[in-house]
Amino acid sequence: MSMVRPAEAKGRPFRISLGLDHAAFAMIAVATAIMVSYPAVLVLLRSISTEDIGSPLTLDWIRALVDSRRSREALVNTAIYTAGSSALAMTLGVGLSFLSTRTDMPGARLLGLLAILPILVPPFIMVVGWVALADPNAGLINIAASMLFGGRTVLVDINTMSGLIWMTGLFLSPYVYLLVAAGFRNCDPAMEEAARVAGASRIGLLRTVILPLQRPALLAALLLVVVMSAGDFVIPSTVGLKARIYMLPSLIWQNSSTFPPQPGLAAAQSMLLVVIGLVCIFFQRRALQRGGRYTLLGGKGAGLTTFPLGRLRYPLAGLAFVFALCSSLLPILSVSAMAFMRFWAPYAMNLENLTLRNFRYVLFEYPQVWPSAQNSLFLAVLGATLCVLLAIVLGWYIVRMRGRFAGLVEYAMVVPLGVPGIALGVGILSLWILVPGGIYGTLWILLLAYITAHIPVALQFVGSALHRVHTDLEDASRISGRTLVGTLRRINLPLMRPALIGSWLLIYVVILREVSLVILLYNPSTIVLPVGLMDIWGSGFYPELAVYSLLLLVLGLVPVLLFGRFARFTAD
Amino acid sequence: MADPQQRRSAGDAKAGETSSVSVTGLSKSYGGAGSLRALDDFTLEFGAGQCTVLLGPSGCGKTTVLRSIAGLITPDSGRIAIGGTAVFDAAFGTCDPPEKRRLGMVFQSYALWPHLSVADNVGYPLAASGMPKAEIRPLVESMLEWVSLGGMGGRYVHELSGGQQQRVSLARAVVGNPRAILFDEPLSNLDARLRERMRLELLGLRQRRPFTSIYVTHDQLEAMTLGDRVVVMRAGKIEQVGSPEDVYKRPRTRFAADFMGIPNLIEGRLRATGPDGFVVDTVLGPLRARGWRTGRTVGESCTVALRPTLLACSPDIGAGAPLGRVIRSVFQGTSTIHMIDVAGTTITIESFSEERHGDGMTVRVTPAEGAVFALLDD
Ligand SMILES: Nc1ncnc2c1ncn2[C@@H]1O[C@H](COP(=O)(O)OP(=O)(O)OP(=O)(O)O)[C@@H](O)[C@H]1O
Ligand SMILES: [Mg+2]
Repeated sequence: MSMVRPAEAKGRPFRISLGLDHAAFAMIAVATAIMVSYPAVLVLLRSISTEDIGSPLTLDWIRALVDSRRSREALVNTAIYTAGSSALAMTLGVGLSFLSTRTDMPGARLLGLLAILPILVPPFIMVVGWVALADPNAGLINIAASMLFGGRTVLVDINTMSGLIWMTGLFLSPYVYLLVAAGFRNCDPAMEEAARVAGASRIGLLRTVILPLQRPALLAALLLVVVMSAGDFVIPSTVGLKARIYMLPSLIWQNSSTFPPQPGLAAAQSMLLVVIGLVCIFFQRRALQRGGRYTLLGGKGAGLTTFPLGRLRYPLAGLAFVFALCSSLLPILSVSAMAFMRFWAPYAMNLENLTLRNFRYVLFEYPQVWPSAQNSLFLAVLGATLCVLLAIVLGWYIVRMRGRFAGLVEYAMVVPLGVPGIALGVGILSLWILVPGGIYGTLWILLLAYITAHIPVALQFVGSALHRVHTDLEDASRISGRTLVGTLRRINLPLMRPALIGSWLLIYVVILREVSLVILLYNPSTIVLPVGLMDIWGSGFYPELAVYSLLLLVLGLVPVLLFGRFARFTAD
Repeated sequence: MADPQQRRSAGDAKAGETSSVSVTGLSKSYGGAGSLRALDDFTLEFGAGQCTVLLGPSGCGKTTVLRSIAGLITPDSGRIAIGGTAVFDAAFGTCDPPEKRRLGMVFQSYALWPHLSVADNVGYPLAASGMPKAEIRPLVESMLEWVSLGGMGGRYVHELSGGQQQRVSLARAVVGNPRAILFDEPLSNLDARLRERMRLELLGLRQRRPFTSIYVTHDQLEAMTLGDRVVVMRAGKIEQVGSPEDVYKRPRTRFAADFMGIPNLIEGRLRATGPDGFVVDTVLGPLRARGWRTGRTVGESCTVALRPTLLACSPDIGAGAPLGRVIRSVFQGTSTIHMIDVAGTTITIESFSEERHGDGMTVRVTPAEGAVFALLDD
């Protein structure tokens, strides 16, 4: 005899008494979902408003976008740039991950490390480093070529579309590596053994089992680098502008910040990026989810078929290491060399020209450096911490409570992944510029932008770490008398610590170097390190630029070196 | 050996006795529009100090009952009371969270925390109740001795064997003097020999100190040895409740008999009823059964259970008895199992001689007195 029929029981008060916790978690989750999704909406709205949001609607900006020659040119350039750098990043990322995980290549582990190292290297290092190496006049490679071949030989020129593609491809390759290598490594040996027993050759195995299983991961990686390169800001607005190769992100910046500003046109151009980004990221998520169906637990490395490289073993290893070095150590070394030079010109490449003056100047005399370093450190530490804390709440709400808005929140979290930083900046700006006495013009708007952009990454880490904690461990704690929050603190946090530290470090490093997000939001009193770098780039003092970017690198690396061994850096 | 419960009770006057758990009209559905009824109007009283075993096939709702009692699942309707006070009542909107229910639980996965030492694992419920560290330590140590793990408190979980881990998990469940302890297939991750040993140990521990236990398993041997009472479940409902002996000897339905591990459930047709029993026509000819169900009519079809040990098969003895073909004869250590095909029905016979029959041989199957021991509903 049932005392309450199920139909009646639905919506009865005990469901509510179940969870003040639940309500609090749901509220935070929904608030975060709104926080991450309104910028995209506002970009669209701003692009069809005459003035700030709230003013009459118009199609003028869209029309201007279509009519402007520069916009069309930028669109074509962005397309070429995106295609080129994505192709390069894919080739490098997939190649290096296959070589380092599934072949008998010598030094495979070291290669794996080198391949992901560029994630820790700010793009400025890549830019300054490759300018130092491949500038048509004073690039080390060209100087060496001139000495070798006589006369003035320009072997490589960074101030070209291929130069831009080269840097961006290198810069993005570790993201491909991370997505794909995990798949190669986590193959189920039983599947491969079954194929081998069924008579497949090694190559047949690669063609019929290994690669098809990786297809979702490959697609996901491709779409990710497409989004990242289409929205990339630093390389197009430094070397790109110098070479007069206009792209959408750099044009948005110019339209918003040079006189006369055209925020409506900037918003229309941002909208184009937002649409491209969101479409790509939508398909990327789908590919990843489909990949999830193939996710193979149990099999971890042991027993996987390795592919012998035969006579190509050493040549391939050499090539792989050259590429891996090009994306991290080589630029760092050339930036370091540049930092010690009194001035930077082809004829200045000699020992008398070495000096510490640049360090003294940048670190002690340049007025902007310490305020901006302080701001950056404050924002990076606070931002990373808040991101991780927020992600724990969201992760719990989505993964464990499976609350009513879980699906909605998960969808919203995709938005910042698809919206390039500069467009996110446009969206955030167009809201807060309307709020008098609000956070516009303070550090808090930068903090908000950082958290908005990076919460999804933190959530991925926390989500996958949460999936690893068996719910029995939490249930056992609840039954033992600990409340939900007590259980989170005593059981989940310690068990998830490596992933939490890993995501904290990653977000810290990324916030420290992030420029596209804040380039439209900062003002002279809230300047941050990478924005300062853009200033110096404009002034053209390369040795000082080198010191400045090394400072950025070091500030980012210190906590990684200190705490990296307690961390887990993959969210697979 | 110092008894931890006693010490705890001495220090804490409120420490509850082991309590009864009563579940009334519990229902739980999953899926869109409640399409899957995991639990359907489940009502049962779990006696204080008793061990009640929930037995049933995979997916019948055993875990759902257990987790509802623990507070880990919120049922759709019904009432759960522990020691007389409601911890869940859909009608009044009561739903205590797990941490307020003062229960212990032993998980199939052990659910020991890898980042804590064995002592910290066991002491966790005490620490959660705010007991000072100095008081926890001796309690934990005596608890570990109780489960024969004295001196291992400093180890970490991965340094223990599966059996030891499960004992730590038991110690953790008992240490806080819970009102009842819930077991969800605690032994099924252990290998057969260890499982047997742990089963006997658990029995010993319970004999020394009875605690209210609700024990989920699908191993009928565990149910028989550990249970004061066995509950056979089927598709979210109770199929039969009784003492292990009762359920084994007098399964009410074919399903229950099957699940109690009774072989030789064969179809028959009732030929005659009398005051002292029934006569049933089967492939083995007419059999006299001491049925315990009344109100059956002649000509009705029914199922009878035949004890494997009270059947004999031989190529020569028993003239006139039905013929069968040997499918397989397997020596099992203490006995030999013969599988015989009699007119399309497979009969299992257990004999304590070591004689084996060749496959395909023709034998005569003769039931001894009392071979037929139940008459089941279909
Ligand atoms: N979270 C859930 N969502 C949907 N269905 C569920 C969920 N949990 C349990 N079920 C369903 O409820 C029914 C009862 O599940 P329950 O876990 O109680 O079975 P069980 O008797 O413990 O089985 P087993 O012996 O396999 O552990 C099953 O049909 C199961 O598929
Ligand atoms: Mg179960």
